[in-house]
Amino acid sequence: MSHETQDDAAPSAITDATLVPEQWPVHAGLIGSILLMASPLLLAFVMSTQTVPEVYDITNIGAGSDGLANYLEVLTTYEMASYMLNSLVMSVVVTVGKIAVSLLAAVALVFYRFRFKNAIFFLILFTLMVPVPVRIVPLYELMAAWGWSNTLLALTGPYLASATAVFLLRQHFLSIPDSLVESAKLDGVGPLRFLWDVLIPMSRGMISGLGVITFIYAWNQYLWPLIVISDQNKQVVQVGMKYLQSVGNAGQTDWGLIMAGAVLTLLPPLVALIAFRGPLLETFGLAE
Amino acid sequence: MGVHENTFDSTLGAYLLLLPTLVAIGAFLYYPSLQTLRLSLYKTFLFGQNTRFVGLANFAELLSSQTYLGSVGLTFAFAAIVVAGSLAIGLFVAFLLYEVSDGKAAYLVAAIWPYALPTAVAGTVLLFLAHPSVGIYTHYLEAWFGVELDWFTVGWQAFAVLAVAAIWKQVGYNVIFMLAALNNVPEALNEACELDGVETWRRLVRVYVPLMSPTLVFLVVINTIYAFFGSFALIDLMTQGGPTNATNLMIYQLYRDAFQFNNLGLASAESVILFVLVAGLTYVQLRVSDRYAHY
Repeated sequence: MSHETQDDAAPSAITDATLVPEQWPVHAGLIGSILLMASPLLLAFVMSTQTVPEVYDITNIGAGSDGLANYLEVLTTYEMASYMLNSLVMSVVVTVGKIAVSLLAAVALVFYRFRFKNAIFFLILFTLMVPVPVRIVPLYELMAAWGWSNTLLALTGPYLASATAVFLLRQHFLSIPDSLVESAKLDGVGPLRFLWDVLIPMSRGMISGLGVITFIYAWNQYLWPLIVISDQNKQVVQVGMKYLQSVGNAGQTDWGLIMAGAVLTLLPPLVALIAFRGPLLETFGLAE
Repeated sequence: MGVHENTFDSTLGAYLLLLPTLVAIGAFLYYPSLQTLRLSLYKTFLFGQNTRFVGLANFAELLSSQTYLGSVGLTFAFAAIVVAGSLAIGLFVAFLLYEVSDGKAAYLVAAIWPYALPTAVAGTVLLFLAHPSVGIYTHYLEAWFGVELDWFTVGWQAFAVLAVAAIWKQVGYNVIFMLAALNNVPEALNEACELDGVETWRRLVRVYVPLMSPTLVFLVVINTIYAFFGSFALIDLMTQGGPTNATNLMIYQLYRDAFQFNNLGLASAESVILFVLVAGLTYVQLRVSDRYAHY
């Protein structure tokens, strides 16, 4: 930032040189904090390669002799592959569904004039105040009454409406230049065509950002799937972590295997975060 | 009002576009929320088969129960610790990220990744690493500090482990928002501080924190809600509310009353209380910030 032209760089060069005279404490602080935050997962990863006796040798933090065998075992014998697939289906359906539904709502709120608009917008925003635990008992009963228990519908339906997505998309649409909207109006295109041809291409960054936020959110859900899915085959991977807890024999828990499950469960949202960090940070108001 | 609101002219069209959202919030958000209110006035018998109107009896029962009041106190303490801890660590890391000039992009990703960390993974990993008998953290803490740690039986230790897990999970989120706020500090201000020779940490506390106060208030609200509702997976996987209710936060008590004891009326009353507490706390935090925050 401070390396513009040599001539007027003088004031900011002074700033740089004196604001942070020596950056090594900053680097040390960052590396220290990052290691501290990452250490549980690094240890979990190392121990996911260990056999039961190696894990019970507490101070042994070398690579284990099981290699990736724990991963294979946890994916097949302990059904983590199918839990992960269930989670993936749930997360993709929630992500696509939530964004589609919210895009339609945002178009109505920005490009139309109609009665009760503000009231409806408020009604959508106020849903932030009623997270799942506030309505969990009736929601559970509703799913049972509709015969939705143990189905994808129950896993995804309650997550479709989103105050955050509608709010952010609305803000984004409001900032679109008048000229673009006017030309679309003159061409006489319908709202869906306008959405598909103009708004979505213009909002790629915002939509990817919302997409990755929603995907991570959906993948990490625990309480609702725990309650509404009782059929183990249909369960998501977060609750699968709970099934794994009892793995082991002769009173010795196979922690290496459980850590392999934990690493696998973290992988998809972590990859999504790293791959889409640009749009994610931008959506949160932090351009990279 | 809106800049583009005359683009399309059809009230029916607008309502059709809103229909999916309205159906979803009606069916999955408002209807169950209102039902929670209604159910909280009923007593359920025979595994939910029979109900009887009891007025406010569920609330009276909760407010006179030592277990429940203990759980409420515990939840407030937990929220205070998690909010303070995750904000302090988040601020420290965000400030370093703001200051650093080389390798910023790489540090940023390495610092915010816990945003993607599933709560169930955080709980499972710490359950193992801090395990009283096989955990490596426990082993070294005991060796270095000469203490005896057993959070499977000592309540406050279990509470502390849970708080560490919750803070760990929440830091990434806070760093993202704090760094965005720091990036909005005018460059001229940095230069003024520089000319006046304000030292680094003073600059953070005296200049940046007041300027970031709207973001900080927002984060206090979000972190409070997270501490109240988001720690369920940690409790379920790590402590099941124990030992002897030391980690029995309100959300866990609610889950047990509803889905283990089938006491749906009582659980609904607990939902209502949770809602009132969180809404009240949010309101107070926003009011206080109105007075002190520099917008």
